[in-house]
Amino acid sequence: MEDTFEPRIVAFLCKWCSSAGSDLAGVSRMEYPSNVTPIQVMCSGSVSPLYIFSALNRGADGVLVSGCHPGDCHYIKGNYYARRRLALAKKLLEHIGLEPERFQMSWVSAAEGQKYTQIIKELVRELKPLGPQTKLRRKV
Amino acid sequence: MVNIQSLKEEARKCLQEGKVKYIIGYEKGADGWKANPAFIKKPEDVEKLIWDPTCFHNLARFLVDEKRRKAKEKQPDTRPVGVVVKGCDSRAVVILLQEKFIERNDVYILGLSCEKAGVVDERKLARKLDGKKPVKIELGEKDNFLVFTDDGKAEIPVREILAERCLECKANFPVISDVLFGEKTKREVLNPFQSIEKMESLAQEDKWNFWKQTLAKCIRCYACRSVCPMCYCDECVSDTINFAVTADTTAEEKAQKIKWLEKSPVLSENIFYNLVRAIHLAGRCIDCGECERACPVNIPLRLLNKKMEKEALKLFGYEAGFDPSQPSLISCFKDEDPQDFIR
Repeated sequence: MEDTFEPRIVAFLCKWCSSAGSDLAGVSRMEYPSNVTPIQVMCSGSVSPLYIFSALNRGADGVLVSGCHPGDCHYIKGNYYARRRLALAKKLLEHIGLEPERFQMSWVSAAEGQKYTQIIKELVRELKPLGPQTKLRRKV
Repeated sequence: MVNIQSLKEEARKCLQEGKVKYIIGYEKGADGWKANPAFIKKPEDVEKLIWDPTCFHNLARFLVDEKRRKAKEKQPDTRPVGVVVKGCDSRAVVILLQEKFIERNDVYILGLSCEKAGVVDERKLARKLDGKKPVKIELGEKDNFLVFTDDGKAEIPVREILAERCLECKANFPVISDVLFGEKTKREVLNPFQSIEKMESLAQEDKWNFWKQTLAKCIRCYACRSVCPMCYCDECVSDTINFAVTADTTAEEKAQKIKWLEKSPVLSENIFYNLVRAIHLAGRCIDCGECERACPVNIPLRLLNKKMEKEALKLFGYEAGFDPSQPSLISCFKDEDPQDFIR
């Protein structure tokens, strides 16, 4: 089971840095796993913890939120707010017993296509042994 | 000791002078021993006011209702509302002020210091009395509660029946008040995060098993939300009541309506709801413990809120409810906020 399991990852990428970074990875023809479903958001600061809970609720095996490096935010300070808010969300998810690997954050700039592919590879490698995420998945 | 007579005098004076619209306080409840929230409108009614260890309710909640009511009135009475607050309730008022939900001159705060004790925990008391019904509870002289039952009097040490939240209280006196009754004496609290430490030491799987069992009980009655002074959103994530579907609602409108979670009380949705509530209360919860008390199925909701409180303090050095001029936790940041979890 474990070697055939492919985790589904939802990635919230900020438009100005991480999304451009993933684009760079694409146009540079870098290879990385296809497990990730990117969702472009205007800023990592606009990612509400609700998005993360909701993604896990609808069956994501892992969630990645990626934004600009601190100081590089297009909106000056959006990623600082994201850092604070999502740190709390991460602690909360760990508190109720979700594996910490399931929700991760990264800073990826528009020039870091290489780093983006690296993060996705690592994420997939970490999520594979955990198996499907069933804890928060909707069962109605 | 809080002198109840002086509280009554002050309340009477305020009402007679017309300084306040009405006073929210505590009166003897219908069941004979517990306090009930009371709305005192006439000066002669102030005799009803009481103050004893059964005054659990966080009366700051009624300020939220008051604001809603006032917004609907054509010619609102702009006088302040008198509100009787304990230490925890006063911090709730601070948060409401901090978030500019109410103005400082909307409230006239009558602060009561809990001094040596706090409020009793009904469940602990019931266990202690073996099902006997108390008639009256008083704070005794030497760190004990005097519990009167039909067949006599029992002296129970404060620590044994004090509510959990009071055992971990950070300030058992009002941090903001117009008039203060009682002394600002700080009761010794050894560890304000005692209750969650056991929880934190568990392995990830055990934590999950614990929450799986407890949250599966949730019946989604939303008592926690109704009783919480901080849960004042006009529209809650869990029920989109403001967007009623009528005959005129177009398919497009319906499609655009976001439905975050299902209403059925199943485990996954219960977790979602409680996670959302916890994250919305992060840095705002003042640990009045009302959600836990109101919960009909005894879910230890404080464990969620307390965790957020602890993380806010540990990661960001933030304590909720002490300074109305401070920005709220997630509307500010520092350059040196921890980011070791970010790749």
